[in-house]
Amino acid sequence: MIAAMASGAVKGAIDLSALSMAAVYALCIVPLAIILWNRVALFGEAIVALVRMTLQLLFVGVYLQFVFRLDSPWLNGAWLVIMVVVADVSIVRRSGLRLRRFVLPLFAALLAGLAIPLLYFLGPILGREGLLEAQYAIPLGGMILGNCLRADIIGLKSYYEAIRTREREFLHALAQGATLGEATRPYLREALKAALGPTVATIATIGLVALPGMMTGVILGGTEPMTAIKYQIAIMVAILTGTAITVLAAIWLTTRSSFTAHGPLDETIFRK
Amino acid sequence: MKTAEAAAIRIENLALRFEGRSVLENLSLALPEGGRVTLTGPSGSGKSSVLRCVMGFAVPASGNVFVRGERVTGHSVWKLRTQLAYVAQEPVLAAGTLREEFERPFEYRANHGARGNLEKLPELLERFLLPQELLDQDVVRLSGGEKQRAAIVSALLLDRRIFLMDEPASALDTAARDAVLEFFRERTDLSVLVVSHAPQGFDLGGRAIALPERARAGGAG
Repeated sequence: MIAAMASGAVKGAIDLSALSMAAVYALCIVPLAIILWNRVALFGEAIVALVRMTLQLLFVGVYLQFVFRLDSPWLNGAWLVIMVVVADVSIVRRSGLRLRRFVLPLFAALLAGLAIPLLYFLGPILGREGLLEAQYAIPLGGMILGNCLRADIIGLKSYYEAIRTREREFLHALAQGATLGEATRPYLREALKAALGPTVATIATIGLVALPGMMTGVILGGTEPMTAIKYQIAIMVAILTGTAITVLAAIWLTTRSSFTAHGPLDETIFRK
Repeated sequence: MKTAEAAAIRIENLALRFEGRSVLENLSLALPEGGRVTLTGPSGSGKSSVLRCVMGFAVPASGNVFVRGERVTGHSVWKLRTQLAYVAQEPVLAAGTLREEFERPFEYRANHGARGNLEKLPELLERFLLPQELLDQDVVRLSGGEKQRAAIVSALLLDRRIFLMDEPASALDTAARDAVLEFFRERTDLSVLVVSHAPQGFDLGGRAIALPERARAGGAG
């Protein structure tokens, strides 16, 4: 950032040649040597991680280049929907819940959490005529969705596990005449806090501890730092909005079918 | 679905299964309005599960439960629960102070109308030997007996008339037990269904029904 400001003129990022990339991988010798030298049980994992990263990003790079070149709103929309599906399945897997019952409501919850802030950003704020222009829709959508994914996993896990482990407390509320909505409200509140807490904490310390990834990218891409921070503020607000919407929707949309007609939690929603 | 002479609770041919095993079969009983019935039986005989079935927290394998003539179903139970007081053996109260525990249920729409009853709280606390200072204490620090009496007080504040009590004597010391017994002996307008493995410790009169022991039916209490 400092270098870019000092030079006065802002340029686009320099492409890395094959030789440069080889040099990048050569730098891996340092962390790998530290791992080996101290016999940290992480060497194999680190190698696999580096290989995976390379292959995954190569795939995304090739695909995105194709998407950006065509820049068709339909293709861009389809890409976002595919990302929603991948996120959807990944949430259900990682939250220990039964796939069949949760995939559809979660798809809707993710779509809502992604579409509402993204379209608001692309439409009224950026005023793009082509609403789903690849240059904006794909990276912004990806960032919002990634955070929705994380928030939904934390939120759903917190909600259903709290009700399961504190079942008697939950039944106590039912015994006192609570409706399902009233009896689940404390758990909803806790789940939202657990899911949104990390985003709020990130917002509070942004720029102090670490330069956010998006800002780094935008600055590397040759944009003025002041423009970069405006995008960063906008994306943080979009993420907070998206995560709040998606967690609330995920819990609302799954609650009705996750409890028996009499009120107790339906234990069959858990995989084991 | 109301029947002519509606008992407070009527149980017809109730059968319970726990993890595929039969825990209880063919239980029928009627608790008249203002009546007292004690279900006795060793642990594992399914006593507590009978109360859970009345509350809708467990679903019987077969048979029916009626509350004031209305059959307990997934649809009706939400309304019927607002007439029932469930006093668990060791009640688990939501985190917070005892005062919050008493006030919280009035936030539920079903109890909005009874809010004025909170005025009776000091009198009820005294009646059940619960000192006023307990109100500001965290519920996790209450003893089992204090929680049981708190659950009774809470139900009375909510105008509940049908009491389901699971082992009411187990956690209470003599003085507290006498206070509870004396209260229910006076209040003949309340209907009480007690389950207990040692009924001699908590004698409210009325009928006693002994459940047979079931082999290896543990866990259903």
